[in-house]
Formats: sequence, C-alpha cells, structure tokens
Amino acid sequence: MEIRPIVSTILRNKTGAILVALQVALSLAILANTLHIVSERRAAAARPSGIADEMAVVKIDVSHLSSDGPEQQLATMKREAELLRAVPGVAAVAQVNQMPMTQSGWNNSVAIDRKQTEESSPSSSYFSPDSLVKAWGLKIVEGRDFLPGEAQDIDINKKDEPRVVILSQALARKLWPDQSPIGKTMYFGTGEGAIEVRVVGMVERLQSHGAEVSARGELSAIAPVRLYGSNQSYTFTIRAEPGQRDRVLRDAEAVLRKASATPVILESRTVERIRKSRYRADMALSWMLVTVSVLLLLITASGIVGMASLWVTQRRKQIGVRRALGARKIDILRYFLLENFLITSSGVAGGVLLGVGLNQLLVSKLEMARLPLDYLVAGSVLLWALGVLAVYGPAWRAASISPALATRST
Amino acid sequence: MLGYYFHLGLRSLRRNPALTALMVLTLAVGVAASVSTLTILHMMSGDPIPHKSERLLVPIFDVQPAEGYVPGTPSDEQQLTYIDAMNLLKSGQGTRRTALYGIAPSVEPLRKDIGAFTAPGVAPTRDFFSMFEVPFLHGQPWSEADDARGANVAILGRKVAEKLFGAGSPVGQRINVMGQPFTVVGVAGDWEPNPRYYKLVGSDYFGVREEIFIPLATAVRLEASRNGGMSCSQRAEPGFQGILRSECTWLQFWFETASKDERRALKDWLDSYAAEQRKLGRMKRGSPAELYDVMEWIEHENVVGKDNKLSAWLAFGFLALCLVNTVGLLLAKFSVRASEVGIRRALGASRREIFRQFLTESAVIGLAGGLLGLLLAFGALALIGMQNGEAAAVARMDLTMLAFTFLLSVLAAVLAGLFPTWRASQVTPAIQLKSQ
Repeated sequence: MEIRPIVSTILRNKTGAILVALQVALSLAILANTLHIVSERRAAAARPSGIADEMAVVKIDVSHLSSDGPEQQLATMKREAELLRAVPGVAAVAQVNQMPMTQSGWNNSVAIDRKQTEESSPSSSYFSPDSLVKAWGLKIVEGRDFLPGEAQDIDINKKDEPRVVILSQALARKLWPDQSPIGKTMYFGTGEGAIEVRVVGMVERLQSHGAEVSARGELSAIAPVRLYGSNQSYTFTIRAEPGQRDRVLRDAEAVLRKASATPVILESRTVERIRKSRYRADMALSWMLVTVSVLLLLITASGIVGMASLWVTQRRKQIGVRRALGARKIDILRYFLLENFLITSSGVAGGVLLGVGLNQLLVSKLEMARLPLDYLVAGSVLLWALGVLAVYGPAWRAASISPALATRST
Repeated sequence: MLGYYFHLGLRSLRRNPALTALMVLTLAVGVAASVSTLTILHMMSGDPIPHKSERLLVPIFDVQPAEGYVPGTPSDEQQLTYIDAMNLLKSGQGTRRTALYGIAPSVEPLRKDIGAFTAPGVAPTRDFFSMFEVPFLHGQPWSEADDARGANVAILGRKVAEKLFGAGSPVGQRINVMGQPFTVVGVAGDWEPNPRYYKLVGSDYFGVREEIFIPLATAVRLEASRNGGMSCSQRAEPGFQGILRSECTWLQFWFETASKDERRALKDWLDSYAAEQRKLGRMKRGSPAELYDVMEWIEHENVVGKDNKLSAWLAFGFLALCLVNTVGLLLAKFSVRASEVGIRRALGASRREIFRQFLTESAVIGLAGGLLGLLLAFGALALIGMQNGEAAAVARMDLTMLAFTFLLSVLAAVLAGLFPTWRASQVTPAIQLKSQ
C-alpha cells in the first residue's frame, strides 16, 4: 500500500492531524518526564538504610521528669539498658543518639589532616556504647566491631573525646579513595580543636539521619560513646526476635515505666514507620504523577478515537467508492491504521523534542535529574501502541462500510 | 441575543451527549489538576501577615571563621548566636524586637489523671505576642519584669489549656514544666500562621500550633533543650553554658519597625554593629549583615518546595493537553452543524453573529467543565490533605482560588473554542444550501 495518497490526504486537511499529533507530542513529553521522576522517587524510597530486617527494629525515646545529677542519670541509663535486655523476645539493645531516616540528628565535618581548613566530608555522627553492628545487623566489610573495652561514657559538660570510629563504606571511600581505611587517623572538625580518632572498622552501609538522596545520605561514622549529662531525652534501639516486635515494644515500655520512680515520657517508633514518614512526600508525589499519567493516556486515546471517528464519518462515501472499485476490508483497515501511524509518529518525533526541552527546564529551574533516553523510547513505544489500539475501533467501522453506499446519492 | 445563545448552548449540550460528556470531563480533569496544585502553591506562598510583613525583619550575621573563606560567598547562617541575640535585644533598634528558639519541654499537670507529656512550643521574649499578633483567650503576655528575671511563667495553647484545665480560665493555675513549678499567665487562641514564618528553621512549615510559650530567659536559665536546628562552625565548649558563649547559631531574631522606610537605617546600624564586633575579634569574614522581611525570608528558606512547583508545572502541561483535546472535539461537534450555519447565514445572520453563538456554546461547556472540575479539585485536595497535618494546612481552597477556578475553566473553554468557532463562521451559505 502506498503512503503517498495517505500523506496527500493528511496535507489537504491538516487541522485534525495537527491536533492529534500535538496531543501525542504533549503526552509523550509529560509522560516521559513523570515516569522518570516516579521511578527515581521509588528507587530512592527503596534504598536500604543499612539496618538488616527493618521490620524487627524499634526505637524508644526516654525522658525523665526528675532533675537527677549526671552520675545518677548515667546509672539510670545503664540500668534501663539491662532491664530492656531482659525483656523476653529482645535480640539486642543499644543506646544511641540518633536513628537513620528520622531527619533529626548530628552532622559533623570530618577531615583527614589537622592542618586542613576545609572539611574533607560532612558526616552523620552516631554514638552508641553498645554494638550497633549487633543491634542493627550492620555488615562489617573490613576491620572489626568495637571491643567492649573501647566504649566510653562521656559527660557532655566535660571535655572528653571519642578515640575510635567505624565508618560507612561510602565515607571511607570518600576520605581514602584507594586505600584501606583501617588504622588510619581521622578528625572530627577542622583546625586546632579537631578531635583525633582512629578508624577500626568499615560497615557496608549506614545511612545518615537525613537519608538524603544525594551522596551525603550514605556518609556516616559511629563512635562507641554514651553521652549523658544533658536534660535531653535519650534513645534506645531494640531488635526483637522475628515476629515479636509489637509485643516486645509494649513490654519494653511497661518495663521502663515501672522502673522509674518519677514520671517518664516515652516516645516509640518502629523503623518501618520512620521509613514511611521519611518518604511520605516522595510517595505522595509519585502517586499523583501516576494518576496524571493514566489520565493523560486516557485523554490522548479519547482524542484519537474522536478524531478518527470524525474522519470515518466524513469519508463514508469515499470508502464506499473504494470498496465498490475492489478494495478489500483489510485495505480500508490498513489505510486508517497507517494514516494514524504516520500522524502518531510525527507526534512522537515532536514529543521527543518537547520532552527533552521540558526536562531541560526542570533541570535548570528545579534541579531535577537529566532524563535518560530509555524513558523517551519507552514512552514512544507506549504512545504508538496506544495510537493503534485507539484507532482500531473506528478503522474497523470504516472497513465495515458497505460498497453499496457508493451507489446512493448522498 | 447572548441570553438566547446561552440557552441554545445549554440545549446543544444534550444534542450529542457522549461527545459533550467527553468534552466536559476532559476540561474538568484538566482544570481540577491545575487548580488543586495551584491552590497548594497559593496557600504555601501566601503572605501570613499582610499588613506588616514589610516591617518585620530578620537580621543575619556571618559568624563563621575566615580561614578558607572565599570573599563574596553568601553565608549559610539562618539564625543568630546567643551573644548577638542578647546584644540586639538590648540595642533599642526598631519599635519592638524578640529572640526565640524552639523548645519541647515536659509538662506535668498537678492532676494525677493526666500523665506527663512533651509540649512543643517556643521560648520568645514578651514582644513576640504583639509583634506576631498572637490572640489571647485568657490572660495576657508575661511582663517585662518576667522577661528580665526569667520567671517561671507559661502561656499555653488553647488545646493544651483545655486538656489540662477544661473550658474555664486557667490563669493563675500551676503546672510543672521541666520538673519546675510554673504559673499559667495566659492562653493563646487558635493561632496558626501558614507558613510558620516566625520560626522556619528546623521544623515543619505548615499546620503547626504552639502548645506552650515560656520566656526566653527562663528557658535559658533552666537549660531547656533545643527543638530545632543549630549550626556550629567552630567547636563549642562543653555543655549548655558552652553553647551560650559559642559562635553556634540557634536563635531566631525579629525586629519590628514603625515604617518600612526605617529598614535602611536598621541595616546601617547592623553593619556598624558587625564592624564593632569585628574589632572585638568576631565575625572575621567581614561580610555585611543581611536583613530580610517576611516574604523575603520565606523565599530565602525555600518554604515552597520544588516538588510543589514541579506538580504545578506538570499539571499545567496536562491542562494544555486537555485543551488541545477539546479543540479537536469541538471541531468535530461544530463541523456536523455546517448546514445549520448555512441556513442561518442565508437568513441574514452575519459572521459575527455565528461567531458569537458558537463561542457562547463553548463557554457553556467551559462552565460545565469548571463546575465539575471544582468538585474534582475539592476531592483531590481532600485526598492530599489526608496525608498529614502539614498537607492539610495547605490543601484548602480559598475564595481567590474559587474565583480563579471559574475564570480558568471558562477562559480555557473559550480559548479552545476560538479556532473551531472561527472555522464554523467561515461556512459559505451557498455551498451548504446547494448540497442539501
């Protein structure tokens, strides 16, 4: 079948064709960009935090209303940790200053040389006198976990400093790109006041408290330190035996309440919930974009159906004549499919350009990521398929027009 | 005649129900998407205190060390050090001034049936309440003497007050805050500026109501821990007292001036203050002091998230698609009525009359689409508002947006109708009549 008569038909009545092509182009441009954003957000929300089996881990913030002195507070912390360990179903307990993904915690700058004025990297600082490797199931890839003798209790009102750290792999690689970090010296802060520490281990992954999407989200350091002496709340993180999380959490709260002579305020959250609220906005945006994409496809399809139906109605007589002159049903069907394919293709071509342009705008104004070509290709295929599907109905109706129509006068 | 055309338009809606429904639905979906995203943008970027937003000013100093500093780089400080906040409070600049930081103290009622809880709030000075126009249900702000000596007085939010003391006035009642006995001196009414411009650093921007206010001096005396961000470029001495003496920034400061012309004088004063501090060995970078009014500050803190702008842009792209679709559908609808146009033209109607008739018809479709779109937008906003308190605070339609929705939908339909209408009015009566 020749394309020329189809092209000349389109050219003779451009408006409809342009409208359809424009719709296809707009849909493709928006679709490719939204799909890209959706998959990016979903990928970010699915990143592992470093905590193995998050479903089993919880945290409890404890704040006592009594105004105990620092030494009394330290004793209470230690006693509470022991009480929690004794709760049935508890696999591990650690006191910790912050949790991954909670978006509140401590940032420090780190350096590899005392003479530096600029930081080598930012780092999210975890402090725990207990083994986070055990409590969170962090994976040591080099070096070792802290030894029991390395844990320190530091009164925040006194000058006392950590001596050893474990780094996340991302931070270690950033500081020493091609060397093993084990045994190296690192500094918290820069200049004279910087705290010197020795690296004893490297874990595969531990996300920062912010869990940023940028590289920063993977830069963390752990020091074996229990901080006390402030009137701020402190946090325990508990790993429960499989399937017992909720009961363990209830029991743990009850134990802490019972053990305190003065009123105590407990705030508990599961890591599952922490993750959910960290990525709530991303998920909401991605659902909104998915909804818009579906509506987009529906509307484009309805536009194609509408326009094709109009053409079929307008050309009833011509179709009858062609059929009377010997064209088969399949020829008529093919004519409409091919015509639509040509229009869709020009729309797709425009859409690719428009999509790249829209992405440029998003990159420059809203600092979004650059659109990989895959999404444009996938979007084009989708719209081609949609075009064929949408036009099939009207084209089939056209093919069913009886040749006898040609013999009638109107 | 326009009324008659309007009537004709309404009747024509019924003539081809499937096509009409499709058009109305397309327009409605496009309008709903753009209106709901725009409503959120509108609510987010609104002026929370329109009559004085130009007279409320935030000062910022660059207190970071000069080592490794490239001159001209803007500072990333967002708050003040305790030293500067205290100096500015004493400065006498502006008509009023306040310094504040976020707290979340434990509150323990004397009634034993309610357990202790933490109440997020702020620790400001007395002027805070008049500067930001906090309404009072009972009592009044604490006195200047309370500010000076750091008295144990508290102002409660309405919800907390009702929870602890029921509906009556709790002024003069006692509660324990951070383990210390406090006297309630007032109850703030439902005060929820959106965004929460007076304290943007380190907390949610929308849908926040303070549950407790205590004097800044009291919070500092009791070493109430911060509920919000702190930025330290140099290592502080240990403990709360160390933080007070340090170059860590953690307090939000506000000036109120009598007129917006006083801003320049205030800026000059701040620069001379910074120069003075430089002589004392602080603020070594030598960058000028910065001053922001409410709207500039909201912009500076990026309160309107990029995701919201992204949604709005894509929604308008979507509306554009819906418009193109409507153009096509209108073209189809009008093209089958060529003979009708031919007869009207032959009977003496001018092109302009035909144009009017068909444009009115498009507007009728726009109205129908707008109505349905408004319903859909309300539904979408309700869905968005269900996410959390922050979303609920901004997913609300106001009168401006309501009017805008109608304008947008009718304008959209008329715009979509222009080309098909023009085509319809170009019908030559002779040809139409001949082919009958």
